[in-house]
Amino acid sequence: MREGILSGNAVALIVAGAVLASGSQALAQATPAKREAPIELKADASPRPWKRYPGWPARDYSKYNTLANLATPPAPKEPRKLTGPITGDAKKGAELVADRARGGSCLACHVMGPAGGANLPGNVAPDLSEIGNAGREDEWLFNYVYDARVYNPETVMPPWGSHGFFDEAEINDIVAFLKTLKSPAVFKTELDNPEKRPVPVEKRDNLDPIENPAMWAVEKAEALFKQRTASGFACATCHNDPKTQFKTWAAAMPKWEPRLNKVLGVEEFITRHAKATTGADWMMETDDNRAMSVYLHFLANGEPIKVDTASAEAKAAIARGVELSKRKVGQLNMACTDCHGIAANKWIRGQWLGEPKGQYDHFPTWRTNLLAIWDIRQRFQWCQVNIRADELPPDAKEYGDLEFYLATQNEGLKLSVPGIRH
Amino acid sequence: MAEKPRLKLPKEAKKGDVIEIKTLLAHTMESGQRKDKDGKTIPRKIINKFTCEFNGKPVFSTTLEPAIAANPYMQFYAKVTESGTFKFTWTDDDGSVTTAEEKITVA
Repeated sequence: MREGILSGNAVALIVAGAVLASGSQALAQATPAKREAPIELKADASPRPWKRYPGWPARDYSKYNTLANLATPPAPKEPRKLTGPITGDAKKGAELVADRARGGSCLACHVMGPAGGANLPGNVAPDLSEIGNAGREDEWLFNYVYDARVYNPETVMPPWGSHGFFDEAEINDIVAFLKTLKSPAVFKTELDNPEKRPVPVEKRDNLDPIENPAMWAVEKAEALFKQRTASGFACATCHNDPKTQFKTWAAAMPKWEPRLNKVLGVEEFITRHAKATTGADWMMETDDNRAMSVYLHFLANGEPIKVDTASAEAKAAIARGVELSKRKVGQLNMACTDCHGIAANKWIRGQWLGEPKGQYDHFPTWRTNLLAIWDIRQRFQWCQVNIRADELPPDAKEYGDLEFYLATQNEGLKLSVPGIRH
Repeated sequence: MAEKPRLKLPKEAKKGDVIEIKTLLAHTMESGQRKDKDGKTIPRKIINKFTCEFNGKPVFSTTLEPAIAANPYMQFYAKVTESGTFKFTWTDDDGSVTTAEEKITVA
């Protein structure tokens, strides 16, 4: 099965005449001919069926769109007619609008006066502290909460009623609360005011192993790199000078891979290349794979991100990535571009929404709140689960297209891996 | 966790200098307060003592409590008047001791 160790792309230099002890053919040659790096072409690079990480919400979102599958029911065409005035419980409504367990609820995006005595409202959407003075009909308020798409098809507001976050009685309570909002918000602390809350700045030295435990993965990977597998080969068998050979490699990833008809990122490449050469089993989202990814990115630190977009296939992949970034997915019915486009550089409750540029150059990154290294694919998966959509396996071709597009948006930024983020 | 301790201190100093020492040991620091999926308490397992010696003489020591976060990080200062070796020890609840040493040249 093994094709032997081939001289590969610009970084994969081969020791001339090395004879490999494996049963099959040994073809090490130092020829200048452009040979593709061997990769596993059949098996998946992550388990099927994909199982969500332990500790992540176990909810099932299969009724809604994912990046691979369209399932969300169509938006209603007409507002719902009310039979009489709304007589909800404003006090209950005040609690519901601040209930973090309901997909973040209203306070994620709106300042709403004294709502529920809650802290840290967001500022993605208008301040509703005086909505009670706006002269809105009960029916309009009800439908805006139930499914705002009946008034504005382009809205980023989740369809709270249609998608089952709140039932009609609860929306009545929310409307009753909205009608009580008649004076500008008073904040308990300055931090509670999203207009004055200081934007997070990351100043830690991410390449200091005392500051960033992800740096330990570099040492782990250096050892893995030299470790011979049962085949008798190690990465170092062919890549005898990784510091030089991988000086730019990771900055040019991901790339279009015609043999697989998909975009390959660093992590999936590691799985497939190791399988086809040393035989090492480094599936995506395992500690060994993450360590190798940190290491290969680390070797290219300081190098500006520049992916190869020349081929028609690469251009088509990026175009698909652009479309995927606009697809409404999950129970919250949000697209990448909702949070990281329309609402970028604003607060969603206590979390700052970054723009796409700057969201790629530090991956894989250390997560201080989780004590874990996350690669970009796991970050994509978490975004999805966060907006209540089923995530895809990390090697899904849709994530490849999306990562490719993200890399183009980060072009020119210099790699600084492993990053460190909360 | 088989990670080696992380140390950061200058290799050289002038006599009388006050130097900064940073140490970090990878450790889960399981507090003994958490419960597992079945509701059973996860037993406490923390680093309960840290010491630093210079040429056999104590420099700094501390008792650690369950409220200390994972990967305990210590930063402290020492005045150096002679060349020698700093020795650091971390004592685990299970009795195991991790040690590390670092030399410094004082001119």
